[in-house]
Amino acid sequence: MALDYRKCAQEIVDHIGGRENIAQAAHCATRLRLVIKDNSKVQKDYLENVDGVKGMFESNGQLQLIIGTGTVNKVYDEFLAITGMTEATKDDVKAAAAAKQPLWRRLLKPIGDVFVPILPAIVASGLMMGLVEALGKAVSSFSGTDWYAFLDMISNTAFAFLPVIVAISAARVFGGNIFLGAVIGLAMVHTNLLNGWNVGNKEAINAFFHVTDGVIPQWHLFGPILPIRLTGYQGHVIPVIIAVFLMCKIEKWLHKHVPEMLDLFVVPLVTVLSTTLLTFTIIGPIFSTLETWVLSGAEILVGNVFGAAAMGALYPWTVIMGLHHMYNVIEAGMLGSVGLNTWMPIASAANFAQFGACLAVGLKAKNNKTKVVAVPSALSAALGITEPAIFGVNLRFFKPFICAMVGGIAGSFYGALTKIGATAYGVTGIPGYLTIKQPLQYTILLAISGGIAFILTWTLWKEPETGMKKAAQKAKEEEKTDEAAYERGNVVITSSAGDINKPINGKVISYTEIPDETFASGALGEGVGIIPEGETIFAPFDGVISSVAETNHAVGITGPNDQELLIHVGVDTVMMDGDGFTTMVKEGDEVKTGQPLLVFDDEKIKAAGHPDVVVVLLTNSDDYTDFQYGERLK
Amino acid sequence: MKEFKYTITDPVGIHARPAGLLVKEVKKFASRIQIVSKDGKAADGKKLLALMGLGIRQGDEVTVTVEGDDEADAAAAIEKFLKENL
Repeated sequence: MALDYRKCAQEIVDHIGGRENIAQAAHCATRLRLVIKDNSKVQKDYLENVDGVKGMFESNGQLQLIIGTGTVNKVYDEFLAITGMTEATKDDVKAAAAAKQPLWRRLLKPIGDVFVPILPAIVASGLMMGLVEALGKAVSSFSGTDWYAFLDMISNTAFAFLPVIVAISAARVFGGNIFLGAVIGLAMVHTNLLNGWNVGNKEAINAFFHVTDGVIPQWHLFGPILPIRLTGYQGHVIPVIIAVFLMCKIEKWLHKHVPEMLDLFVVPLVTVLSTTLLTFTIIGPIFSTLETWVLSGAEILVGNVFGAAAMGALYPWTVIMGLHHMYNVIEAGMLGSVGLNTWMPIASAANFAQFGACLAVGLKAKNNKTKVVAVPSALSAALGITEPAIFGVNLRFFKPFICAMVGGIAGSFYGALTKIGATAYGVTGIPGYLTIKQPLQYTILLAISGGIAFILTWTLWKEPETGMKKAAQKAKEEEKTDEAAYERGNVVITSSAGDINKPINGKVISYTEIPDETFASGALGEGVGIIPEGETIFAPFDGVISSVAETNHAVGITGPNDQELLIHVGVDTVMMDGDGFTTMVKEGDEVKTGQPLLVFDDEKIKAAGHPDVVVVLLTNSDDYTDFQYGERLK
Repeated sequence: MKEFKYTITDPVGIHARPAGLLVKEVKKFASRIQIVSKDGKAADGKKLLALMGLGIRQGDEVTVTVEGDDEADAAAAIEKFLKENL
């Protein structure tokens, strides 16, 4: 029995809280995708039983109803008619869903996206650094050897040049040129600048700048305002992400507004110059001011037990800001004045709490991807290097981070109460035993902070719903099998030479609307563009493959009546040099209607910054007088 | 018949966009115009797909042959076009 589209759409509208409760609606090959204002008004149980709805799940802030190929568009049309809404693209829906997430989540997301790909580099360094530093402290003769010097250099490479790695990853996430991103990162740790780790070290400053007053020199590019302090950003993360984010915005804006001919002269130059100016004159001073505040604040706080407890909570935030490298100054000061480093127990409590929280995530997570990241990150944190655990795991899920703060508070409080301290500085966590004066109390401190963080995380943190994920994944796979979803029969071009079927599902636009001058001008022939909902191109008629681009992003087919059709995936995708494209045919192959010709990776095209519109042009359209284009049901 | 050689300097070779422009230029003339790649494959200059099928990249040398009533004008115009666009 045929489905009553109108009834199906009406029932859906009635049980999601009516028109007022819908922010946006779109559909893909199989699903109706809705952004709902108030989820509590959605009657999920009822919806699943609506005739025509095969399943439903929530994902990325969208309510998705699986309706099926060939039906979903008809239900969608009725849906629009009932609600009086206008058609939204999938991207609109995604954007609306993203905007619906709370602000802190939207701010945290890019940090996670930037950090996850670079974790291997910093986990390796973190573990090695922890071990090498511990060995150096444990066996004092070892710290003088060439082996120590070598291992020390290798292990701190990823941290010393962290801004470069972060910048490259961030450029990728924000859609800029990764090499320009690398330049920004490199500028921030340029060898002409004082190593950021030495900011509080007067001797190092004197030696580096050949001065005697221990003051870091400044550049005055704009007279008295906005001086640049000659300091690098070693170990920093947030200023780098902000800088690269700015860079990508500037770069994209310039690409849009600079004539193509001048693009290569103007865009990279202006992008790098304006980004570095903004970074060094504005972002830099904000962070160096913060550094000073944090430093003097920390010195006041550690004076009493409650202050110390507060510091235990604030400590990981200063790691996020990259300000924790300054604390050596406080520790050295303590050793100089009273001979006991009471800062170290606070840092240890905070760091070991990150270990506890991260370990809990690692043990509790069922998702293997999370597990393999969390366990080694936890180990690194136990050795005192917490960046992998914080950025890669705890901060990303956020709740573990809060749990670790609580653990840090308790541990620091205990440490200050018992007045324990270390005789040196530089190590925390397990290696901290090498310098601590009261190993027993130190053990209790670690147990308190790590234990509380672990237990809290274990009980409070829930892995993002796997059930939903499965449903989402299943639906995605369903969408992947484009072949099943491919709507054979819809025609996009007609002429006396024969009909040309739609080679891929998606919204059909006129060639004049294709975002590319050459295609839109008709210089290559007339036809259509298709905003793809799928990643496979199917032969639109029986014919012979007359050309396959060497970069696999375009094919030409000649039909029995000499129709010469060009199918070109995306705009400017020749630049991708074949990455993300695979063709299943070669020149001279005979193909039948509906045979798959080419698959492409839509995400890669978007990531490379190109429009993904599939261009379908009859290159010899002017040979036909009765040529017509536009989607039409056969 | 007229014939000349030209080495492609456009970074993407004779691909969709430049190929389309070339076809447009070639179609202005009545002469039969062929583009021959260095491995001897020939394509009708009025057929976009055939041209693209040659797979000509940057640095490749092509031979252009022009035959017909307006061959002198056509050869000159196409050589000029190639120099300016490809």
